[in-house]
Amino acid sequence: MPVPFIMPKFDMDQEKATIISWSKKEGDLVKFDETVLTVETEKVAIDVPAPASGILAGILYKDGDVVPVTKVIAYILKEGESIADLSKADSPTLPSKPEAAPVLQTTVAAQAASVNATPVALRMAKEEGVDLSKVLASGDKITREDVQHYIEEQKKPAARVTLPATPAARRISLETGIPLEAVAGSGPRGRVRSADVLAKANLVPSSVTTINGREAEVVPLSSIRRTIAERMQKSFQESPHIALTVDVDMTEIENTRKRFNVQAEKLGQPRITITALMIKVVAWALVRNPYINASFNGDSISLWKDVNIGVATAVPQGLVVPVLKGVDRLGVNEINMRLSELADKARENKLKLEDVQGGTFTISNLGMFGIRQFRAVINPPESAILAVGSVVRRPIVVDDQDRVEVHPMLSLTLSADHRVIDGVIAARFLSDLVAGLKSPSLLLF
Amino acid sequence: MSKDKGKIKEKDIGTREQFEERVKRLGLSDKNLIGLYRTMCTVRHFEYMADKLYAAGKVHGTMHLSAGQEAVAAGISLAVRPDDYLINHHRGHGHFIAKGADINLMMAEFLGKDTGYNRGRGGSMHIADFQSNNLGANGIVGGGIPQAVGVGLALQMQKRKEICICIFGDGAANEGVFHEAMNMVALWKLPVLYICENNKYGMSMDVERATAKLPIAQRAEAYGIPWACVDGNEVVEVYDAMKIAADHVRSGKGPYFVEAITYRYFGHSKSDRNLYRSKEEINDWKQNRDPIMRFTKHLLQSEILDESQAQEIGGQAEQVILKAVEFAEASPEPDISTLMEFVYA
Amino acid sequence: MPEISYLEAIRQALWQEMKRDERVFLLGEDIGRYGGAFGLTHDMLDEFGPERVRETPISEATIVATAIGASLLGMRPVAEIMFMDFVTLALDQIANQAAKMHFMFGGRTTVPIVIRMPGGSGSGAASQHSQSLESVLMHFPGLKVVNPSTPYDAKGLMLASIRDPNPVCFVEHKVLYKTKGEVPEGDYTIPIGVAEIKRAGRDITVVANNIMVMKTLNVAEKLSKDGIEVEVIDPRTLLPFDTETIINSVARTGRLLVVHEACLTGGWAGEVIACVVGSPAFDYIDAPVRRLGGKDIPIPYNRGLEKFAIPQEADIEQEIRALVEGKI
Repeated sequence: MPVPFIMPKFDMDQEKATIISWSKKEGDLVKFDETVLTVETEKVAIDVPAPASGILAGILYKDGDVVPVTKVIAYILKEGESIADLSKADSPTLPSKPEAAPVLQTTVAAQAASVNATPVALRMAKEEGVDLSKVLASGDKITREDVQHYIEEQKKPAARVTLPATPAARRISLETGIPLEAVAGSGPRGRVRSADVLAKANLVPSSVTTINGREAEVVPLSSIRRTIAERMQKSFQESPHIALTVDVDMTEIENTRKRFNVQAEKLGQPRITITALMIKVVAWALVRNPYINASFNGDSISLWKDVNIGVATAVPQGLVVPVLKGVDRLGVNEINMRLSELADKARENKLKLEDVQGGTFTISNLGMFGIRQFRAVINPPESAILAVGSVVRRPIVVDDQDRVEVHPMLSLTLSADHRVIDGVIAARFLSDLVAGLKSPSLLLF
Repeated sequence: MSKDKGKIKEKDIGTREQFEERVKRLGLSDKNLIGLYRTMCTVRHFEYMADKLYAAGKVHGTMHLSAGQEAVAAGISLAVRPDDYLINHHRGHGHFIAKGADINLMMAEFLGKDTGYNRGRGGSMHIADFQSNNLGANGIVGGGIPQAVGVGLALQMQKRKEICICIFGDGAANEGVFHEAMNMVALWKLPVLYICENNKYGMSMDVERATAKLPIAQRAEAYGIPWACVDGNEVVEVYDAMKIAADHVRSGKGPYFVEAITYRYFGHSKSDRNLYRSKEEINDWKQNRDPIMRFTKHLLQSEILDESQAQEIGGQAEQVILKAVEFAEASPEPDISTLMEFVYA
Repeated sequence: MPEISYLEAIRQALWQEMKRDERVFLLGEDIGRYGGAFGLTHDMLDEFGPERVRETPISEATIVATAIGASLLGMRPVAEIMFMDFVTLALDQIANQAAKMHFMFGGRTTVPIVIRMPGGSGSGAASQHSQSLESVLMHFPGLKVVNPSTPYDAKGLMLASIRDPNPVCFVEHKVLYKTKGEVPEGDYTIPIGVAEIKRAGRDITVVANNIMVMKTLNVAEKLSKDGIEVEVIDPRTLLPFDTETIINSVARTGRLLVVHEACLTGGWAGEVIACVVGSPAFDYIDAPVRRLGGKDIPIPYNRGLEKFAIPQEADIEQEIRALVEGKI
């Protein structure tokens, strides 16, 4: 029986995926677990492996199509099988109507339904062990010449390079991770040039149009932008957001950082960033406040055992949230290093799926832009997000004598999902966080 | 230039009286004569050793041996000065040895060793020693003939006393540049002594089948160059003719052309199986006209050497060659790391 | 700075060097009273005398051989082959002798000669007096082949060539003789084996020699108005060829076009392209690597045919546009 090839689901709340490119085509031999196509989910590009070994046939979707997960996109045939076999069984996975226009069925597939060949051709095929469903007929019927031609073609080594692209385009493709197959070539005969790959990597080509009498540059939504749009809308609609703000005195934590760095320099280690320290304190606070590190399931709440903190990072394509896993168990040094690694990967567009999955809490920092305070939107399926502003040296009252000193002050705003987190719970978390930042030695207990 | 001088000497110097009379007239001392003898023996031994080494697989490529032509080399060398410039051809071992080359370095070059004259880059066909004004052998037949024009020109422009000796074979006389060069040396009266070693064969072509009019030397007349034609296997004759020629050239009177008739025993090169000439002919020259044999006869007759002395000299010459082989075999090959050297100065 | 012609620049170099170094002398056909076929040596006979401005019979092979022989004794001859086409008559002395002597003699001697030869079409001199044979001369290791495109380069390279201890083929272009440019009056040399970026540009690298340099620069000027910036490189020396400059340039622009008057087949453009495509610059190539050369025909006599036998400015412009715009 032909094995249905379905669009797999990679993420818990993934609903669909966009086909970037097929790396195999109709009629190709595929091996179990071999990459057959590349798709793009909300977060990253993923290679999809074959569910079985055999011949790829009956491809229903093409590059660029958006396919719901678990939909059948193709079939894997064994020697001698054909798509026609499907109609024999009552297959519940038989595709009804594909979302987008179906892939042009090749003459082969159509023929496979009723193998139309001359008796001579039939006999030759049998003798030579040729699968007639793979032979292209030059006329109405498959002739001996057609079979002959097929046999000769099989003898030739497969083309090693099938996609025309300049050396520069190939290099940029490797560097950016954008497969050449995903890029439309602007050169003669479909040749992909470096500008084509660059356009795909950085900018989505836009056009200037007039809408209702007013001029605008119309920028089509890139995959990432579409994803962000959908998720943010969903988050806002579904999770009742409450926001709580605290101002924290950063003197102690900055002193701690300085002390760390003196040590670090002596040992030849890289310097610790404030973000790394903050993440450590946040993780500690999360452990003490499990409902902040949770997810709403409709009829239950999952209180996650691991503390996986995502750090929102801006990249040319938009926003990505690489995740630091098991932060509660990591030392500040390690947090610092991993943060740096993830930031590099994000910048080079080399993040993998596991780098952006599994977050339980997110931190968003706009402090570098001088934003003093802001509210972020929760990153589903998480229940809370911490918005970090910029550190500002301000005069504050430091004791009950009303003495005023200038201290580095930071504004933190927690947005929380009221379905999971009440105001008091949120407040307790923030209170712990502030305490930890003001007296880092608390973390020892 | 008189017509007499141009003719091949019909009288030989076979008798003792004739020999001694010539030697006296030419002012040749015993030392000179013994020197000539030694030179010829050295050349003979060198050439035969070369052949042996090749047969033993120790020399690769090819080589062009001049055994049988020793008298020409020896005669020239005595007639000219040590610092005269020599342009040679590929059958030139004899001329190098006669000019006083270091046999060790010659042998080393022969074997392609780094200690050779050309650091193993040239081999038999390109041996040169610029220290002694030996401007090298040329592998292109006639290639050196026009270069002699330049050497002569420089000598003239620099007002020097040396002359340029350019040796080539009967085959080269038919190259186009031969005529260009003859014309120009004569035109500018350059101090070049052209010597044609006519050993009767180009490669396999008999000189009579290749050359429209003999003697070759007579061509010089067309360019207004004085010429002579001499028995190349009678060393004293060779000396006689070469001395006249060299003195003429050195006096600033312009070029001179001498043709020496001789014969080679070995084939043109190692791949030559002598199919174009008969064994009888080769033997005739070897037995009846061999230059060393003839000279030895003179020396013994005139009691300048006795049998044992002659043998002694021969033996010494052989020793020199054997030592050279030792030296060469012990020498290192050029290192592969030096492959790209000497392309540009 | 005075502006003089390409012809005058070469003459100036010869004159100044002959004054400076008495070992230098000229030999060639009709270079004396006649002043040379193109007038390059006019008045030099009177200045330097018949010994040093030595007229020869029509014997190209021996002219070169004489230069070789004289150089072995320390002279610095500059021989002239009246038309580059006649170099074939002297090829044994150039290729088998001059080029190889330093090497075959184990580095024990040098052959410091210069052989001047004007080539090129455009004067209606037909097939046997109009060739560009520099590609052939490039094939003999030990030889240097120099090919200036401007008066400034011509003088500097001639002085460098005379002073170089190796045999140098100095390839001139007869149509360039009349072109003018600024040339310093004093002594200066241009290093042999170093290319010059005559015009910097971002979009494409064009390598051209002698007369094609000028044409390419004109085209570059025009294309600049359309926002296409062409980098023009003049190799100045063809052997040894400065491939490094070209490779670095192509790594920046991603596109290469080579233009020469010499016939396309076997022309030196193939040599340059092979070097570049085989180099690390390969990964930066963003367009087909192409060449324009003379048509594979002997140069015709008819003026119109002669003109179109070699690349024109329109051809160069068209090719550059097509490459930059990704049309080919």
